[in-house]
Formats: sequence, C-alpha cells, structure tokens
Amino acid sequence: MSQAIAARMAVKLHRRVCLVMTEDAVLAEELLARKKLAGEVLGRLSERALLIRPGRIEAVLDELIKMGHTPQVVGK
Amino acid sequence: MALDGYSETLRRSVAGSILKPRNPIPLDEVTERILAALANPPVVDRRIADQSAPGRAALAILGQSRQPIWKVGHLLTMLAALGSAEGFAPIQALLDAGLLFPVREFEGSSLGGFQQWFGQEPRLSAEVFTLPGVAERAKGDPLGLPNLATPDGPPKSSLPRISDGLEWPLRLAAVGQLVADGAMRTTQTRALFKRDLQRLQTHELLAAAPADHIAILPDIGVLTLFWALGTEQLAVVDGELTLPKVARTQTNRPLTDELVVLLAAIATLEAWDPLLGYRVLENQLSAVPSSAILLLLLLATAPAGDWYQAAPLAAWLWEHHPAWQNGLTVEVQQQRGTPWVESLLLGLFYPLGIVEVVEREGRFIRLSPFGRSLFAGGAKVPEAPAFLQTLMVQPNAEIIAYRQGLTPTLIARLSRFARWKSLGPACTLELTAEQTYRGLESGLTLAGMVQTLNQHGVRPVHAAVMDLLQRWADKRERITVYSSATLVEFLSPGDLDVAISRGMIAVRITDRIGLCADGADPDYKNLRLIGNRDYEAKPTKCIAVDDDGVTLNLDPGQTDLLLEAEIGRLAEPVPSDGNSVRRFRLTPGSLRRAAQSGYKLDDLDVWFAARTGAALPAAGRMFLLGPTAPSSLATKRLVLQVPNPEIADGLMQWPTTRDCIEDRLGSTALAVDESKLAALRAILESLGVKVEFA
Repeated sequence: MSQAIAARMAVKLHRRVCLVMTEDAVLAEELLARKKLAGEVLGRLSERALLIRPGRIEAVLDELIKMGHTPQVVGK
Repeated sequence: MALDGYSETLRRSVAGSILKPRNPIPLDEVTERILAALANPPVVDRRIADQSAPGRAALAILGQSRQPIWKVGHLLTMLAALGSAEGFAPIQALLDAGLLFPVREFEGSSLGGFQQWFGQEPRLSAEVFTLPGVAERAKGDPLGLPNLATPDGPPKSSLPRISDGLEWPLRLAAVGQLVADGAMRTTQTRALFKRDLQRLQTHELLAAAPADHIAILPDIGVLTLFWALGTEQLAVVDGELTLPKVARTQTNRPLTDELVVLLAAIATLEAWDPLLGYRVLENQLSAVPSSAILLLLLLATAPAGDWYQAAPLAAWLWEHHPAWQNGLTVEVQQQRGTPWVESLLLGLFYPLGIVEVVEREGRFIRLSPFGRSLFAGGAKVPEAPAFLQTLMVQPNAEIIAYRQGLTPTLIARLSRFARWKSLGPACTLELTAEQTYRGLESGLTLAGMVQTLNQHGVRPVHAAVMDLLQRWADKRERITVYSSATLVEFLSPGDLDVAISRGMIAVRITDRIGLCADGADPDYKNLRLIGNRDYEAKPTKCIAVDDDGVTLNLDPGQTDLLLEAEIGRLAEPVPSDGNSVRRFRLTPGSLRRAAQSGYKLDDLDVWFAARTGAALPAAGRMFLLGPTAPSSLATKRLVLQVPNPEIADGLMQWPTTRDCIEDRLGSTALAVDESKLAALRAILESLGVKVEFA
C-alpha cells in the first residue's frame, strides 16, 4: 500500500485559474501589445500561456472579441 | 415549493381544506399529502366543485390560457368581465383551498395568511399559480360567455386565409440574435433605453410587417422582444434583457406545442398595445392579457363554422371589461374599440394560426381548426407533413429556407449558427464568422452544422462554403480561454512527461505545469496531492523576509502562480545555493522597475501585507523613496558621546547646557557648538561629569 502511494506522483493543484492559451508565441505577443489586455494579464507562464487576473475573464473575452478574435471558451 | 414558505398553521389549514382529514396529520407529512391530493383527479374535481362560480371561472381561465401563472389583477379583471363582483374573495378561497398558490420570494419569514401576503405585494402585480393537474381539470368549466357569432357569414364559396404559424417563432429567433449582439437595457420602471428601443424600431427584419399579414402591428419588434421574455427565451439579468445562461430547452417540440407556449406568454405582455405599440404603464396593468384571453374564449362559444366580426366582440368588451375603455384613444373609443380588437385578432392571433379570416363582403373571423382544438374542444390538428429538404445553401454563404419545411427545431438549430436576414415565403439566412463562432460556443460542432445543412439541404453544401466554415472554425482554435481551470504542477519536468504519456494531462503549459483537456480536475488515481491553492480565495502568506529586509524566502508549499508572476516584477531571483527554498532579493533596480511599471508605495504595502504579513521592509522603502527624497547633507560635527540617555536628556533639557548643543544625534550622542565647547566642559565638570577628548 505504502509503495503504491509512493509510486503516485506528487502534485500541487492550482484551482480556478483564469488562463489564455494561444496557438503560438507571436499571437501571445500580439495580445500583450494590446494595452487593455496587458492590464488584465498577471504574468506569462510560458510563451503561449497568459495568466489572467481572477474575475477578469469577461473583460478579457470582450477585448479579444473587439480585436476580432473568436476565442474558444472552456469551462463557462 | 410554495408550501414550504407557509407557516405551520397555514399549511395545516390548507391541508384541512383539501384533505378534510378525520385525524390530525403529522406536520412532516402535510406537504406530501397535499401534493398527493392535488395529483388525484377525483379529489381535485371535488375541491373544484366546492368553489363558488367565480372561483371555478378563475381556474377555468388559468386552464384555457395554458398559463399557470397570472397576475391577480388580470384574474380579477377577467372575473369582473364575467360578472363577478366579489373582488379578491374567490382568489382567497382558491388559495385557502390549496388550488392556487402565491408566487413569492422566500424571504426567511413564513407566510401567516393570504390577506397578509396580498397586503404586502403591490396588489395588482401580485401573482398566483396553479398546478397543471388542477388547471387541466378546471378548464372545461363553462364561463357563461355569450355567442356573438354573426348570423350573416361570408359567401359559402369563400376560402378562409390561414397562417402557417411560423411567423412568431421566426421573429422570436431573430430577436434572440439581436439580443445576442447586445443586451437590451431597461430602466427601473422596466422601460427600454431609448437606444435599444430604436434598435428594435429600425431593425430591418423585426420592424418589417410579416409577409402574410392582414393587419400591421405597431412596434412589432418591441412586442417580439417582450414575447420572447415571456416565453423565457430571454431573461432579465441585472436590469438587462439578455439570453438566459441556460437556454430554454429546444426539444423536438412540434409547431403546435411551440404556439401554445407563445399563446401562454400573452399573459405577460404588459408594455405593448395593439394600436399604440410600445407603452409602459406605471401602477396599472395592461388590458392586453385579459382582453386577449376573453376574446379567444368568446370566439370559442359558437359552433364550428360560424363567423364573427370585430364590432360585436369589441362591444362586449366595451360593456364588460372594467378597464379596457380607459386605455383606448378618443378616436378608437368613438368606434367602441373595434380597431383595437381587429388589430389584436388579425395582427397577433392570425400569424399564430389560431384564427382564420375571410375578407369578402366584410371581414369575418373565427377560430381555426388549431384554435378550436385549444379552446372549443375540437379535434387535435395533425402536424403538417415534414419536408426534409428545405434549405438551399448558396456559394455566397446565404441560405434560402423554404418556409413549408421549417419546424421549431430546425429554426432553433439554424438560429444558433446562421443569421436571419429576411422572413418571407422563402426566408434567407447568412452564414457569418461571428454567427459560426456563436454556434460553436453554444456547443455545436462544425460537423454538426454541416450535417444540418446537408440533411435539410436540396443539395450538398458547396465546397466554397465548406471552406469558409472550416476557416472560421479554425480561427476559434487559435485562442483558448480557460475561465476556471485546474492547473497541475509536478515536482519535476520528468513527472509531467510521464503524466502526458499516460494521458493524465492533455496540455503542457510550462515544463512542470499542465492541465486536462477540459480544464477540470485530473484523475487522482495516480497522483498524490501536496498542495492545493484556490485562486478565487485571498492570497496566502507564503514569503518570509530575512533580517536584512531585502531577502525574500518563498514557502514552496504555499506559493502560487500569481506569486510567481508578481514577484518577478518586484525582486530579482537569487541563484540557488542547493537549498530547496527559492529566494528573491529586493534591489534598488528591481523596485525602480516596479515603480516604473505602475506600482505605488501603497500597492507594495498591500502586496507585502498579503504575502509576508507586514508592510514593505524599511530597506525596500528606502530603495523606493530614496530617488524622490530631498538631497541629504554631509557635514563635520563635534560629537559629545555621553555615557547614558539620562545625561543626554538632562543636557538637552537644562537651559544652561541646552544653548551649547546644536542637535541631538541619537540617544547618547549630541552635536556641540565648537565655540561653546569650553563653556560646556566647565559646566559639566562643575556637575561632576568628566569629559575626555578622543
């Protein structure tokens, strides 16, 4: 039993995270260059992943749509 | 359930009326027993029979209208039109008998009596509802309405005009798309904002008259909007009319059932008038809901085949409806309301397919076979045969929809991914990038959309259109927004690789962080949880500050992604020394960058208080404030260092010595005026305090 537990991988969960994933790094750059969007971005976890301020997902979606994007929304 | 909001006494009283028990019923069984009785047709029939004629009429109206919820004001109006002069009493009796229930928000306090409830609510707007089983049993009760059919009908050879019933479902679909473009805002009195009213009044499709029309209704767009609200295709959220979060289930409902839903929603049409159009009434109810139901019930009195004209119907309303006359304009009053009745019957009911019309040697109206099946006990009307192939998708991404093949299901499905452009015998829709996106966001797939178009199309979707749809759908794949994802952080990149290879994780975010395809929690079978952070919760303390005030030690168990993102803006990472604790250091440069990126001292204090439990350390404050402080002064001073603070305090306080001191530098250090040093030394020695020179 203890061996089975040890075999399980240790993980830390980050729940209820608002995240924007882009197709490529250039698109992420394009989003960050938009002042209104950049203000809602807390940080860039990777080239393609932008961490959004908690509770600001609607504002981000509005801005993305204003930019002409059609984002796929997961977990609405 | 409404019964849960009743006080114990009231619940027992209602139970007594409906169950007539010989022995007391245990309180925990009362609700269950009442509901069981209301589901028992013989019991319901007996209790309905116990009611007075106006009470039975009220229930019959509820049943005939197919609307279980009515405003008390409308019910009282209709009862008064039927000759009842008892006011609220019949409604009170129905409430007491458990055949009606009040619609009320659960406010924590239980309801002690119905008079109390009726007194608290705005009287006319208070609502009651009944259960479907009760309404169904009561709807056949005779209402005593007169037969107003005209003895001289149209020539026998006349063929009546009858609508296909699709006009209103199509318009409701179009108004849903307009609201999806931008919610309609309302004022506190539920009036539309001027801009939104104009949107409806000038909308190319919604403001136009129906293709098959006999009368043109004013503000038909506004009517459609409020009708959509009544059918719950729209909802009021924070004072805005918008699409509901959970859309009304669009099942494979036949057209006749869809029309019954629309008919039932007439009870909610308060801000529209058949002649005046959009009209918000304050502190009074519209005559439309009550008059509309009374007119339909009047049309149901004559045998099949008899015809009506508007004038006698209007005359009856004129004589009997207590409030209708007041809402009419002077010109319409002169004709005793006939244009109003014609507008309602021909503009509202004709497109619903409830009435049929002959315009020959006068205008004659009667219930259609569908209308008779609803109100006059006529045979159920069979559904029209389905024409599967009714769409033609053109290479320019326009769709022509031949009306005879449309069904509520197809209308609802098309509305999700194509935009209605015109309504007529052949309707047109347009495939657009935006509407395709909305379709995909509503849960449709590209394959599903194409399948719909192919299944109902007279020919397969053109390659150019397929290409367009594919391109629009691909565009959506470029950005994915996770509104509430669970990120899984592994201890090493190797662990993440293993998790991905086993299919536990679908998307790699960083070398150690990944997430499942739908952003949901992972399967815990192969995982051991060592930390759990909720990003909607307040940030946790996860940093310890060293005594130097600049070194920040991160607690690995408590840190989160926000911290990772934020701390890099304030401090610089300290290269690892083999210790597992990650460190950052505040530097003048890092804090200068933070200030340049918009951080103020207050912001930093708040951030440090949340993350360390204390404000920005002094060293950090110096880094931040130093550049903006006035310049410092460097001078040579003669310092007298006394052995303890008490002597320093004494020298500062005693006027004889105070004049010799320039400044106090610390608890035991004093700056002395060099020219007065000799005098000070003499005084000190006179006191017995020795002074040595360094």
